[in-house]
Amino acid sequence: MDSRINWVGLMTLIRREVGRFFSVYRQTVLPGLISSTLYIMVFGFTLQQRIAEIDGVSYTIFIIPGLIMMNTLTNASANTSSSMLQMKLLQQLPDILTAPLSSLEISLAYIIGGTVRGTVNGILVMLLGIALVGLPLHHPLMTVGFIIMVSWCFASMGLLLGQLADTWDQLAMLNNFFLTPLSFLGGIFYSIKMLPDWAQTISFINPIYYMINGLRFTTIGVYDSPPFISFIMALLMTIGFSAAAILLMQSGKKIKQ
Amino acid sequence: MTPAIKIAGLTKAFGNTQALAGVDLEIAEGQFYGLLGPNGAGKSTTINILTGLVRKDAGSTAVFGRDTVTDFRFTRSQLGIAAQELSIDWFFPIEKLLAFQAGYYGITEKQAQPRINELLERLGLAKKRESRLRHLSGGMKRRYQLAKALIHDPKIIILDEPTAGVDVELRHELWDYLREMHQAGKTILLTTHYIEEAELLCEEVAIINEGKIIKKGNPQQLTSELGRSGITINISGWKESLNSLLAKYTCTDCDAGRLHFTMRNPEQALPEILKILVTNGVHIHRVEMEKSSLEDVFLSLTGKGIS
Repeated sequence: MDSRINWVGLMTLIRREVGRFFSVYRQTVLPGLISSTLYIMVFGFTLQQRIAEIDGVSYTIFIIPGLIMMNTLTNASANTSSSMLQMKLLQQLPDILTAPLSSLEISLAYIIGGTVRGTVNGILVMLLGIALVGLPLHHPLMTVGFIIMVSWCFASMGLLLGQLADTWDQLAMLNNFFLTPLSFLGGIFYSIKMLPDWAQTISFINPIYYMINGLRFTTIGVYDSPPFISFIMALLMTIGFSAAAILLMQSGKKIKQ
Repeated sequence: MTPAIKIAGLTKAFGNTQALAGVDLEIAEGQFYGLLGPNGAGKSTTINILTGLVRKDAGSTAVFGRDTVTDFRFTRSQLGIAAQELSIDWFFPIEKLLAFQAGYYGITEKQAQPRINELLERLGLAKKRESRLRHLSGGMKRRYQLAKALIHDPKIIILDEPTAGVDVELRHELWDYLREMHQAGKTILLTTHYIEEAELLCEEVAIINEGKIIKKGNPQQLTSELGRSGITINISGWKESLNSLLAKYTCTDCDAGRLHFTMRNPEQALPEILKILVTNGVHIHRVEMEKSSLEDVFLSLTGKGIS
C-alpha cells in the first residue's frame, strides 16, 4: 500500500466510530432526547406561564436552540474523548497505530465519528422541538450546517482531551466543571439581555454563548449578539481545535511512548 | 538480497532508563527468528519501534529495505502483529472486529470475508464469530489475536510473547500453526522468554539483555559453543590408571563411585569414555547425559537466568 490516502482505512475507522455509538444508542442517543423532553416540559411549560415572551418568542421555543446546542456539543465531545481514552485503556489503540493509517486519517475518522453523533443528537432534539412545540426554522440549511460545524468543533476538542487524559476522572472533570456550566451559563434558558451588565460581559468570554446565539438566529430568528460573530467564533474554534487535535496526534506525545 | 527486517544502532530511553542501547538486527526473508531475553530486556521496545508504537531516539529500522517511519504505509502493510497485551472490545463481535482490522489495511469487508472465514475456521473460532471478545476464554482471545495479525496476509509476522499465559495444549497448537506459516514462506519474528519455544521454533536467535544484543546465532550452535553440557556416570571398580586415560576430559566432580564430566559435545565424547571404562574393567551402573539449553547460554553470557 503506497497510496497518498488510505481511503478504505479511513472509511473503516469512521464506520467503527459511528457503529460504536449506535450500538449503544441507549447510552448515546436516547438520554439527550429524554432530558430535552424533560427540560421542555419542566422548564418550558411551567415557566412559560410566568415568563413573558423573549424577543417575541414564547419561552419554551426560546430555550430549544440552547437545548439543541447542549446536546450537540456534549455528544460530539463525549464521543471522541471517550472513544480515544477507551482505546488507550483497553489496548485497542495499537491496532490503529500499527496499521498503515496516517495521524491525519486517524484524527479525521475520530472527528467525523464525533461529528455524526453530535449532529444526530442535535437534529433529533430539533425534530423533538418541531414536534412538541412547533419550533420554527428560519434558515433550515444554515441550522443544519451550524450544527455540523459545532459538532466538528467539539468533536475535535474531545479528541484533543481524549489524547491528553489518562483517566475517566479527568474526562468527567471536563464535563462537570466546564462543558455543563458553560452550556448553562451560555444562555440556554435566558437571554443575556436579562442579566446585569457585569454578567453580560462575562458571557461574552464564554464560547458556548456564541454557539447558542448562532443557532437561535438560524432557528427562531432572534439573537443577542450579531450572528456573524457567532459564526466566526465557531469557525475559529473549529479550526483551532481541529489543528490542535491533529497536531497532537501527529506528535504522538500522549499516545506513543 | 534485501533483508525482511533490518535494525541498526537502535536506541531508546524512557526517562533515566536506557531501554535500548544500540540494537542491531538483520532478519532474512523467510526466516524464523527469535528475540530472546528476560522481561525488561528490550524485546517489546524493539518491536514496538519497528511497528510504530514507540518513537526511537536514534538508529534506523527498515522493512524490505524501506524506512519504517518515512515509508510507514508500505512497511506496516507488510507486518502482522500479535501483541503481548490482549485488547478488549465491548461493542462488536469478533467477525466484525476482523473486518475492521482488514479495513485499516485497505481491504474492504467484502474482500476480507473469505480470509475471515478461513482464519476463524483454522483457529477454531468459527462458532464464536458472533461473540464479543469479553466472552471468549483466554486461549480463544490469544487465537483471535493471531487471526487479527494475519488478516491482511502479511509477509512478516511479529509475535510478542505469543504463548505467554496459555496452557500447554494451546501452546503446542500455536507452535504447530507457526511452523505451518513458516513453511508457507512467512518471515516470523518471535519474542519470548520461553527457552523451549525459541529452541523448538527458531532458526536463528538473538539474545538481548539490558537493551543490547549480546549474542546471535543458530540455537544449536550457541548451545554447543556456550552451553554447559555434561555426562555423569555411576561406576564401581575405579582404578588410578584411568586418571591418565581420561585426562583429556574435564572431570569436575569425580570420586571412586561417580564421574562427572563437563563438556560442550557430550554425544561425541560419551562412546569413547565408555569404551575406556569398560576395557579397563570398570562396572557401569548408570549413565546420565545433560543437554545444554539456551538457558545455559544466557547464564554463561550474563551470569543470571533468563526467566
